[in-house]
Amino acid sequence: MNKIMKRYVPFMKAGVQSLIIYRLNFMGFVIGGLIYCFVMFYLWRAVFESNGGGIFLGFSMTDMVVYLFLSNTTTQLIFSDVSNEIGEEIRDGSISMRLLRPVNTDLSYMFGELGTALMKLVVLLIPVILGLEIYRFYVTGTIVFNPLNFLLYLFSAVLAYIISFRVNLCFGFIAFYVKNLWGIGILKNSVIGFLSGSLIPIAFMPEGLRICLEYLPFASMSYTPVMIYMGKYGAYEVLFRIAIQIIWAILLYGLSKLIWFGAIKKLCIQGG
Amino acid sequence: MRRALKIYRLLVVQNLKRLMEYRADFLTGAVSFLIDQAVGIGFIFIIFSQIPQLAGFTFPQILFIYGLSQIPKGLDHLLTDNLWCIGYFIVRKGDFDKYLIRPINPLFHVIAENFQVDAIGELVVGIGLLVYAAPNADLHITVWTVLLSLIAIPFATLIYTSLKIMTSALAFWMKSSGFIIQMVYGMNEFAKYPTTIYSFPVRIFVTYIIPFAFTGYYLSLYILTGTDPLLSIGGVILISSVLFVISILIWNKGISAYESAGA
Amino acid sequence: MIYAEHLRKEFKKVVKEPGLKGSFKALFKPKKEIVVAAEDISFHVPKGEILGFIGPNGAGKSTVIKMLTGILTPTSGECRINGKIPQNDRKNYVKEIGAVFGQRTQLWWDLPLQETYLVLKEIYEVDDASFKKRMDFLNEILELEKFIKSPVRTLSLGQRMRADIAASMLHSPKVLFLDEPTIGLDVVVKDNIRQAIMRINKEEKTTVILTTHDISDIELLCDRIVMIDKGKNVYDGSLHELRENYGQTRELVFETDKSSKLTKEQFRKGLNPNENDLVIENEKNNFKVRFNSNKIPVAEMLSYALSVTKVKDISVKDADIEEIIRNLYRQGEALNE
Repeated sequence: MNKIMKRYVPFMKAGVQSLIIYRLNFMGFVIGGLIYCFVMFYLWRAVFESNGGGIFLGFSMTDMVVYLFLSNTTTQLIFSDVSNEIGEEIRDGSISMRLLRPVNTDLSYMFGELGTALMKLVVLLIPVILGLEIYRFYVTGTIVFNPLNFLLYLFSAVLAYIISFRVNLCFGFIAFYVKNLWGIGILKNSVIGFLSGSLIPIAFMPEGLRICLEYLPFASMSYTPVMIYMGKYGAYEVLFRIAIQIIWAILLYGLSKLIWFGAIKKLCIQGG
Repeated sequence: MRRALKIYRLLVVQNLKRLMEYRADFLTGAVSFLIDQAVGIGFIFIIFSQIPQLAGFTFPQILFIYGLSQIPKGLDHLLTDNLWCIGYFIVRKGDFDKYLIRPINPLFHVIAENFQVDAIGELVVGIGLLVYAAPNADLHITVWTVLLSLIAIPFATLIYTSLKIMTSALAFWMKSSGFIIQMVYGMNEFAKYPTTIYSFPVRIFVTYIIPFAFTGYYLSLYILTGTDPLLSIGGVILISSVLFVISILIWNKGISAYESAGA
Repeated sequence: MIYAEHLRKEFKKVVKEPGLKGSFKALFKPKKEIVVAAEDISFHVPKGEILGFIGPNGAGKSTVIKMLTGILTPTSGECRINGKIPQNDRKNYVKEIGAVFGQRTQLWWDLPLQETYLVLKEIYEVDDASFKKRMDFLNEILELEKFIKSPVRTLSLGQRMRADIAASMLHSPKVLFLDEPTIGLDVVVKDNIRQAIMRINKEEKTTVILTTHDISDIELLCDRIVMIDKGKNVYDGSLHELRENYGQTRELVFETDKSSKLTKEQFRKGLNPNENDLVIENEKNNFKVRFNSNKIPVAEMLSYALSVTKVKDISVKDADIEEIIRNLYRQGEALNE
């Protein structure tokens, strides 16, 4: 274990470093995300008002605010850029360099991102949660924060990251077939944004679609942890949802490996 | 002017040829934006399946505002996409040099160089929504409302373009301004919905500071209500012209501050 | 034709302290430092001349070229080309010049070369008849036919450079700026490009300003050189004069016995040369002795060296221009220190 850490810590440090170097871009994303949240906040406020206030499909306005900001933050936290990274490396051929290094390819990507994820945890998640809890205290007059739910959220978010990483890994290999990575990126973000419930809570969707989405891996990527944090699930359901996450993590691990081996074969034939 | 059009046409034709070469890429791009749009509309459908109206607007009216807001966005996307590259890397890498040693306006040259067909997604959805929503949106269709609204569309597009010119020109001082373009451009989210849903400071902000409110809500207002063309259409024309002049001033100032690469 | 008077260019540079703290500081309160890329550069080039504009890396060559082409605005000083100040009337000015920057292409990456020229034809308002004549001429001297239908991204470096030069010549400019046009090319391509530059200069009386690190470019092409270092003029004159004034350096290579050595100490005793007049480098038992033959005659040097050490073999080399320039650079450095 120690040996593994020693070998991969440099990747992690590089991840932290690159976040610092590209801090302005990072800030742009954070601020862009916040703007989006505010637009949505006003839209939902108008929706709640048109609805006569109170509860809308089982969500109060306070719930909605927590959901909005936390799901956006979670999406940023578990964001994986591996699809772009792999895509670029495939395009410029440097992927063969990565294969040459005596380290596990997946892990080297993953540790690079772990660095940025840790930074985001400190500079993004903690302030957002703090802000949301102050807001909830201000609105309801009582402290609603539940430490157990928070810990379960973190655990579920880690699983969500693993799933997101694997999904992105699979997406990255599309670069073997399509050159417009940027278009693919837009496609990926909007599809995942919708299917993962970060755009609109899955609970609001029509019955059939909702059940369908809840079992797809995308819901596991931000919806599940956020709903756990908000205490929307009972004890039994929390376990059930986490079990679904674990199953998806394993399945996607297998799928990404399969594609990876296929890709290496293709790489050998093409000559990189 | 005639020469400019000829150069523009030549470059566009070249772009289309390149498109044919990378057909799969074009399809991915266009389909991506189309799906991105579909998701946004799905969202509105889901909300309206629960409530009859929003901030005094009916479902078709909301769709109409949303659809109309996508047209200036799409047009700007189609025509001036290369400005993003100015902010992200052209200035930083020193590749702006080449625009300065050619005997045509550098801004025109930059813009003419790319013709972004991905924007089809936004345009198709925008027009589709207009056609779909118009019959039920209680529009005040007269020669004037239609004509003035059509005239206002290029001006609304100019709001997008001017904001992109300004923010990308910041790269001349900062080397890279991609994140600022991203941030400012991202505020077009505000344009999709009636500006009346926002709180007062936000309303002031999206009307007078980053005036995206004019690219959707105010643009639609005249044809929706049939009154106050001065406020809506006049506002679009005035604000966009002011913004454009400011953006050109910033751009020109930026060029003399340009430091190329290296050194 | 070209006048550069006391050109100066300053850049502001953000200095970042290392580490996380430094990054935060740079984000909120950037510390700025002024870097002077060109301090005081003046020269003048008459019509039809090929000027070699040289200097070590970081001397400010590119900065000066970019000021002359109107890309950069000088902090102070002035340049006039054909009576025009580049920054004042850019559109009309750039019609009269052509520029090639060896490190980057000005062609459209995805377009076939031929299409690129068609676009440039419109941009520079070249009429159909002159365009055809022009393309024939450029085809002939730069041999573009083989790759004129290929997209620019598929061209080799040498082909790309030829294509770039042709692009800069399409509108028959009066002045041609070539910033390292032979960088990274093999000998054959280099030769081809030099021939082309020479012909353009001869047949059209085009004034050429050429920067290069390749001394052969200068020896073969340039009538005159202007050398700058650390943003200041160091030398301005003909190549011939340079050789006369600074070219007294000779190089002798002695191969000695395994046990013997040649050191500066040994020479100091007998010949007592100045510090700059003698340089000794060795690789195993090959000793390269470079010296100023004005101060120490070759015969004296030879006989002295033979007297102090056991010599197995001797070879003599004439001073080449590279050597002279290296010496000049070195003197410049000494002056600055």
